[in-house]
This record gives sequence, structure tokens and C-alpha cells, in this order.
Amino acid sequence: MSTTQERAAAQKRFALAKSGLDTVDERFASSKWLVSALDKIFPDHWSFMVGEIAMDSLIILIATGIYLALFYVPSSTDVVYAPTSGHVYLPLVGQHMSEAYQSVINLSFDVRFGLIMRQAHHWAALIFLAAVFFHMCRIFFTGAFRKPREINWIIGLALWQIVSLEGFTGYSLPDDLLSGTGIRVIYSIVQSIPLVGTWLAYALWGGRFPGSTFIPRLFVIHEFLFPLAIVGLLTAHLMILWHQKHTDFPGPGKTETNIRGSRVWPQYAMKAGGLMMLTASVTFLLAGFVQINPVWLYGPYTTYTVSAGSQPDWYLGWLDGSVRLWPHWEFRSFGHEIPNPFFPGLLIPSILFGIMFAWPWIDKWIYKDYGPHNLLDRPRDKPFRTGVGVAAGMFFTDLTLACATDLLANNLHVPFERLIEVLQYGVFVGPIAGFVVAYWTCLHLQRTDAHPIRRPVGGIIYRTASGGYHTVGDVHHDDHGHDDGHGDHGHGGPHSDTPGGQSPRHDAPTPEPVAGD
Amino acid sequence: MSNIDDELTHPGPAETTAGADGHVPASSVRLPFGRNPRHFGIDPSDPWPADVPMDQDDTHWRFENDPKGAKRAERRIAACWTVTLLASIAVCVVYVTGANNQLAGLCYGLAFGGLGVGMILWARDLLPGHEVTASRGHHEVSSEGYRVAVAESFSRGTDAIARRPFVFKILAPAAGLLGLGTLFGPVASLGPRPHTDLYKTKWGKGTRAVDQDGNPIKPTDLPVNGILTVFPEGYMDDALSPTLLINVGDSDFKVQPQRAGWNLQGPYGNIVAFSKICTHAACPASLYNVQRHQLICPCHQSTFDVLDDCRPVFGPAPRSLAQLQISTNSDGYIISVSDYTRAGGGPVGPGFWNRG
Amino acid sequence: MLRGPVLLLSLVVVVFSVLILTQAPARSASNTVSTNPSDIAAGAVLFEVHCQSCHGYQGKGGVVAGAPALVNVGAAAADFYLTTGRMPLNSPSNEALRHHPAFTDAQIQELDAYVNALPQITGQGTAGPTIPSPEPLCSVDQQKSPTSVDLATQDPGCVTLSEGQQLYAVNCAQCHQAAGSGGMLSGGNVIPTLHNSNLIQAYEAPLIGPKPMPIFSQLSHAQLSAIAQYVQYLKKPSNPGGFGISGFGPVAEGFFGILVGFVLLWFASRMIGNRG
Repeated sequence: MSTTQERAAAQKRFALAKSGLDTVDERFASSKWLVSALDKIFPDHWSFMVGEIAMDSLIILIATGIYLALFYVPSSTDVVYAPTSGHVYLPLVGQHMSEAYQSVINLSFDVRFGLIMRQAHHWAALIFLAAVFFHMCRIFFTGAFRKPREINWIIGLALWQIVSLEGFTGYSLPDDLLSGTGIRVIYSIVQSIPLVGTWLAYALWGGRFPGSTFIPRLFVIHEFLFPLAIVGLLTAHLMILWHQKHTDFPGPGKTETNIRGSRVWPQYAMKAGGLMMLTASVTFLLAGFVQINPVWLYGPYTTYTVSAGSQPDWYLGWLDGSVRLWPHWEFRSFGHEIPNPFFPGLLIPSILFGIMFAWPWIDKWIYKDYGPHNLLDRPRDKPFRTGVGVAAGMFFTDLTLACATDLLANNLHVPFERLIEVLQYGVFVGPIAGFVVAYWTCLHLQRTDAHPIRRPVGGIIYRTASGGYHTVGDVHHDDHGHDDGHGDHGHGGPHSDTPGGQSPRHDAPTPEPVAGD
Repeated sequence: MSNIDDELTHPGPAETTAGADGHVPASSVRLPFGRNPRHFGIDPSDPWPADVPMDQDDTHWRFENDPKGAKRAERRIAACWTVTLLASIAVCVVYVTGANNQLAGLCYGLAFGGLGVGMILWARDLLPGHEVTASRGHHEVSSEGYRVAVAESFSRGTDAIARRPFVFKILAPAAGLLGLGTLFGPVASLGPRPHTDLYKTKWGKGTRAVDQDGNPIKPTDLPVNGILTVFPEGYMDDALSPTLLINVGDSDFKVQPQRAGWNLQGPYGNIVAFSKICTHAACPASLYNVQRHQLICPCHQSTFDVLDDCRPVFGPAPRSLAQLQISTNSDGYIISVSDYTRAGGGPVGPGFWNRG
Repeated sequence: MLRGPVLLLSLVVVVFSVLILTQAPARSASNTVSTNPSDIAAGAVLFEVHCQSCHGYQGKGGVVAGAPALVNVGAAAADFYLTTGRMPLNSPSNEALRHHPAFTDAQIQELDAYVNALPQITGQGTAGPTIPSPEPLCSVDQQKSPTSVDLATQDPGCVTLSEGQQLYAVNCAQCHQAAGSGGMLSGGNVIPTLHNSNLIQAYEAPLIGPKPMPIFSQLSHAQLSAIAQYVQYLKKPSNPGGFGISGFGPVAEGFFGILVGFVLLWFASRMIGNRG
């Protein structure tokens, strides 16, 4: 029970903390900022944590990556694997290989804890990209990219691209059979660029593939150039986020000018730290128990060998799938040609990225909504956007499946030719079907106001005289009716900055309230 | 709201609310939280916004009024962190005793996991924090005064340019060219110019074909339905040279126009030589389906009909694999008659701009 | 909700425990071909009943399109097709895939003996390759300090995994995958996994070239032995990193990373965060 002593102790702690913070303030005038920092509010909806998983994975990647760099030798110099002591991997003894590959083998077998660091690095990369992808989906489907957050959407997209390339360069560094095959495909794609492709490839690789300069250059790109870009862009991403504050889902009492959630200090910080530790835990459990990228089985890279089932890591699968599905077209005239891989390997991704970068402005144009938003859309309330997102998801899924055609064909016992043909149709059918289904589902969810997965709880359905249905007492209805609840039901939220700007012009007519039946 | 600053810096006894019996609830030792606008992103000089409730209090924690629950929570958290403690010691033991990867993963996983779960439980059960609503403050846009001010400041520069536009018209292209000029040399030095390099492989007149051990090949070495990767002698590392020798036996191999005698026929069968480098993305197209006489590339599933000029019959490859004219030398070893030629479908490998 | 994080951790442990599975050990095989007349006679009886309808009287072929003559194929071919259960086939148009063998080991030996004796019985040609006796693996010490031997021309009496790996990489990996997990050829022709093969079968397959696989009889005895030994190694390769996901490569790893790693963390964030 509280006593006067306790009160005194609390005041003493307070005085101590204050004198410490005063010391800082006298140097940096920091108190104003620190109040806002410690009191900063994070909406703690679970989906907001996924971006944190990405950041936590990045921290693991940087930590393990620095460790790996202490052992990796970025050199194509030909050596013979002949370790005289320590753990030896027998099936490679006496073989010619690059110094880079040898250093990875030694790191995996001879350096204690080298393997778990390597595996943690790789698993963290896969989880990282999954979190980035999910985070991006959340931003898209809830309209979090809208004004004033368009720039952060662009930074995020740039991060996604650089992070994917960073992953690919990491996959390529060990100089094993798989990574060498991947680099060779990339070389062919670079070479396919009209006009400058050949020169560019010769400049990047320092001559004809494979060349001896590429591995050291790749190392600089993977260890310095891309990480610098990632950390720089991420810093900008987070500073902008910090400055603009989070978006939030609409809900009772929430408006465009307020924000609801937990304060950073101490509870949220501790939760976020806990999530970081869990990310590390899952990463290291995977690293300990599930083997990833056994480069010793693939063997050293040579230009004349290849393994069946050569694929990139999952996050670039869509690019490889695109290259697989593109038909045997290329264009030749006037003594020049635009080679085949250019179209699926560069042109299509460029168009897609162009659309994605421009999406905040396309979205504005579609919805004639140019005002700022802090409250999120429910995906169902923007059926067109949701449909486009699902269509894009179907497109990416189709291409990602295409990168595994050989594996899938083998496991499903169908010829890969049929599978590729199906997926070629799927490029068109999948997105269209995805769009239609998503659009229809959104309208249905708008009408019923149900949770997309969970069954409505406790609702009583009445059939009205006119044959319509009317739900009463559904808990999900209880969120409704607040003035700021769902500002997009065709009548514009009270905080809409553009009068009538939210009229769902391109959406289906907004359904009448069910009670109207 | 005039004494806000005083309230913030002087949590004097006046603000605490002692009960009639002199007992002070632990939660009210500090200043009543909900009345300090700074904690809610509100400028003290501004009126309290309508959408931020007053008298919010997030100093409470879950088991505040449940000492038994708090005790249990404390034990749970302590147990989690004990796991971390033990696992951290164990991971050192694992290192010393052979560094088994699974044990290391388990220890690391438990150490991080215990710490993380403990932190989350601590946050949930013992740390203060309720959802609160705050103002977003003035971050949306600057006041009109500042907007005008910044435009004025900026105009100092643009007005100067407008007064003497000629210098700017020179400056812009000069700066651009400076950039290009600065980059040109360093970029050009990154690699050699390709010239005709991509048109050439290391095969030539009379080059012996050797296998991966460097041994030359006789036609009799390759059985019917056999396939062998060969290299121009001495150039195993050249990326465009690897070539497949295939003995198609008495299958109906279509000799292409102008390519009579490019293959080797005899009692041993019918040996043809095609580039191993896929015309799509340069992977070694080397899966040989003897039943259909097709070569398949494992990277993107381009399929080539060996009996018909290695014509692509499926997949993204746009062109046939190039054929190499082979013969035997006086010692009976297989040699190339020349490098890959246009007539044979060369240059080998994937396309490029000047290939035509 | 209350026990969430703890449950999560235990779930992780359970998932990983379940994943660590081992594979069944390989069958052993005999490698001598009997020339005993009674075995040959017994083989002839089996042949008449089970094989002759397609492969013809005394294996001379010409009965059913697609069923080859067997006079000169040798015991290795008979042994490979029978011990891997690829023969007998219901119809020659079916693809010969690995099944449980239709005959007992003794019956297979009798059929091997009969096929081996076919050149003598028919007076046509010469016998094809006999059932091989692969060279053993060198001792670990020998493998650690290898002597440079050209296996194509010399037979050192034992082979190393390193020699096997190099030959496997250039001759086999393009189809059977670097870890031997198999794949797919054109037209639906299957590339089987090598994890079910025994030492003899792994030697016989490249020796005889069971279509649609090409033939690799240009390789020497020592080279084929090295490949066969490496294929055996691939059944239980060194997986110091943990569960090997059957060597399926990046796609499988990706799905693992997403479906186990990311989904676990997703659940974690759902428990930590507000679900409203």
C-alpha cells in the first residue's frame, strides 16, 4: 500500500530523472522534442507491426552481414580447395573454385557459428522481403499512400526495389552453381537493353562474362552501395513517418485531426523491442533447424554446368517467371535487334513500377479526391482500388508460380509445357478474375458489413416485406453510425477537405443502408 | 491554461489528492496526466481541441489493483528471462563443445524468444499504457505567413536569374555537360569496348574438342544417344564456347541447307555439335530428352529439336542453337572446322543490339 | 491471448521437431550374373510369361512398336529395369517409371542370367554390359589428400566424392538437380529423384541410358563408380544446417521462409497488437 515514504521515493526518482534530462537539455534544448517523442502515439493495430518486422529483419541482416563480411573473400581468383586442418567438406576436396566460393565453404564448415550466421542472414532476408511485401499491401489496400504520404509511398517502393536487388546480389556472392547461373541470366538481360546493352554489360562485368572483376564489384554493391541506399532511404522513410504521424483506421472518436493509440514510452517501446527479439528468435530457429542455400551441394560455378531447378530467391521469382512466360518474340530490323529477355526482364517490370510509382496520383484522378487523409479506407469501401490491388497480386502470384514451373510440374505430374501455357493464360485471366471477385466481394461486404473472414456474431436477420434482409444486433454494426466511422459511404466525412471529393464516381453506386429495405 | 508550465515542472504536493485517511493512491503521486496539453500534442497556447477528450489517463497498468495477478505476472516474466539467461550460457557451451548448428539455433532462438516474450508480457501486464487520443498538432501544413515568407526568400534567387537570364542559359547546359563529362571517363574505364567480341568463341580451324578433363575425343568414344560437353582445347573457361556433341545414331537428322558434312557419320552413329549456350538467356541448354531428341534449358524451359537444327519448339528462346562444323584430324580426334558462323546460326548465345 | 506468446514459442519448437525427418535406408543389391543353366532356364520361363509378349521370342523384338530387342542389351539393362520396377510395363506406350519391383530378387537374378545368355542362345551379337561392381569410396584420409588421377584412363581402385561431384555436376545435375531431387523433361517425361537408387542402379543408369535419359557409356568404370558413389552420398548429404528441404532450392526455401518464418511473426504481431 502506498505510503508517504513511497511518495517521497517517487519524488526523488522524478528529481533524479529530471536532473539527468536537464543536463541533456542544457546541451541540446531537447526537452520539447523529447516530450513529443516519449509521448508519441502509435496506433497499435497489429497490421502496423509488420513494417516493424521488416525493420527488425534489416537489423539482423546488418548485424549478421557485418560478421559474414569479416570472412568472405570477394575474389574470383582460382584456388584449389585443399584444407589441411579443421572441418573439411570431402566432396569438394581438390576442386578448382573461386576464392569467394572457398571462403563461403570455409565459413560454413570450418568457422564455428559461421554457418548459423550465414543461414540467419539468408532467412532474415526472406522474412524481410515477406514483411516488406505485406507492409506494402497494407499501405495500398487501406489507401495510406494518399496525400500527404505520396512521397513515402515512393520511397517505400524504391526501398522494395533496392532491397530485392540487394537480396539478389547477396544470393550471387557465394559464386556457387546457382548464383553463377543467376548472374548469367542477369548478364543476358543487361545485354538485351537496346542500343547500350552490350556496352553496359561489358562495363559492369569488365568484359565478357564471367570475367574476374565482377565478384569484387558485386561485393562493393552488396556491402556498401545498396546498404547505404537502403539505410538512407529507410531513415527518410521513418523520419517522414515520424513527422507525419501514422494513419489510423476509422473508428469511434477518431478524426482526421486526432490520433489514437499507445504512447511510445514505456509500453509500446517494450512491445516493439519484444517483437524485435521474436523476429530474431524465429530467424535463428530457422537458421538452426532448416538448412538454406547449401552451396556445397551446388558446387562451384562453371560456365558449362547448370542444375535443374535453378530459381532465384522467392522475392525475385516474379521476374524470373515473367522471363519464362514471355513468348519467343524478339524484334529484328535494320541490322539491329531487341532481344527477347528485354521485354519480360526490363520493359514489363518498368511499366509495372511506373504504374506503382504513379499510383497515388492515379488514385487521386480516379476518385477525384485531392485532399489529405489521415484516416484509412476500409478496402471494401474502395472496390476499384481493392480490385486493382488484388489483380496486381494475382499477376505477381502467377509470375511467381511461373518461376517454379519445373518444380511444380514435377510434383503435380503434369508436363511443364501445359503448366506454362496455363500460367500464360493466367497472366490475363488471373488479374481479371481477381479484380471481378474482389470488386464483387467489396460490394457484398459493404452491404452486409461483415468481417471478410469471421462470421458475423450475434446478428439477427429479419426478412422484410419487400423481400430484402435486415440485420439487427450484429456487433460489427456497433462501430457504425459514428460521424467519423467510415467517411467514404458516399456522403463524405465531415473532415473531408474537398467538398464532395469522395464521391465514389468509379465505384458502384453506394448501397443504401440495409434498414431501408 | 496559464499555469501549464508550472504544472509541468512543479508536481508539488498541492496537486496530489490525499484521501481523508492520509492514504495516497500510488497512481496519483504524479500530476493528473490528462490536464497537460503537451502530452497530447496540443500547443499550450491553443484551445483544447474538441476531438481530444480531457482527463485521459494512461498511467494505469493491467494488474494495478490485483497484487496476486501482478505477482504471477512478475513470475512469468522472470521465468521467460531466466530462459534467456540459461540459453545465453548454453550457447557458449554449445560453441565450445563443437558448435552444433541445431543446438546453436535452439539456444539463440530460446534466448531471443525468452527475452522477447518476457518483454511483451512485461509491457502488457506491468507497464502503464492505455490507448489515448491526442491531437495531430500543427504538422499538417505551415501557416500562410510562413508560406509567403519562404516564397519570398526563394524569389530572391529566381528574381536575380530573371534579371540576367543569359548567364543561366549558359549555366544549365554547362552543368549538364560537366556531369556527363565527369562521368564519361570513369564509366568508360569500367570495362573494355565489346567490338566484335560477342561474335567470337574460342573454336577455330582445327581446334580439338576436349572433355572436362581435357582429354580429346574420338567419334567412337560417344555411344549412340550419348551426349558430351566439349570445349575448345585450352579454353574451358570461355563462357560462349561450351558445345554439346550428340550422337543421334540413325535418327532422321535433317541436314540444313549449306551444312552438308558438318556432322560426323560412321559406324559409330551420327555425331552433331551444337552450342550449349541457350539463345535466350545463356544458360547451358543441356537437358537431353533422348526419346524426343530435344534439348531443354533448365532456366526457362526453352526446348530445342535436335533433329531439326535445334530449332526452338517451346519456351522463350527465339532462335536455334548454333551448329558447329566438326570433322576429325589425322589422329582421329574430333576438331572444329571453323568458329561458329552465320551459316551455322551464330553468333552463339543470347541476342544483343548489334546482332541483327 | 493471455498465453499467446508462450504458445507461439512452443509452436515453433514443435514445428521444427516435426520437420526433422529421416529417410528410409536404401536396398542392397547383388552384382553377379549367374551363368548356371538352371537359372537361365528358370529365367526363360519367367521371360516367356512376363516379357515375351512385347520383347518377342528370345527377346528378338519386333513384336510391339516401342519395345526394343533385348538380345544385346546385357544383364545391366535387365537388372536396372527389373530392380527399379520399371519393367514389366502394361503397355509400351506407358512411361517406364520406378515402382516396387514386380519380381523377387531371386527371380530378377534368373531373368538377368537369361538376358545375359541371349546372345549365346540366339547366336546373335555380343552381350551388352554386365551388372557392374562399382569401385569403393576411398578412405577419408585418402580423400582428404587426393592424388591427381585421370579417371578416364586410370583406375586407382577407389574413388572420391570430389571426383563424383565434378562428374555429377557436368553430366547429371542439369537434369537430376544438384541435390538429386529430380525434375521434368519435355513432353511430360519425368526425371526421377535419385534418392531411391542404390549404388548398382546409380551406376547402371548412365551405363545403359534408360530412355528418355541419354547414355553415358563413354565414361570409364572409375568415372561411373565415382558418380554412383556421389549419388549415394546425395541420399544423405551433409546437412549441417538442419532439415535439408530435400534440396529443392530457393522456391521451397522461400515458401518455408514465408509460411513458417513470416507467418509466425505475423501471429506474434497479431497477439501483440490491437486486433480491432
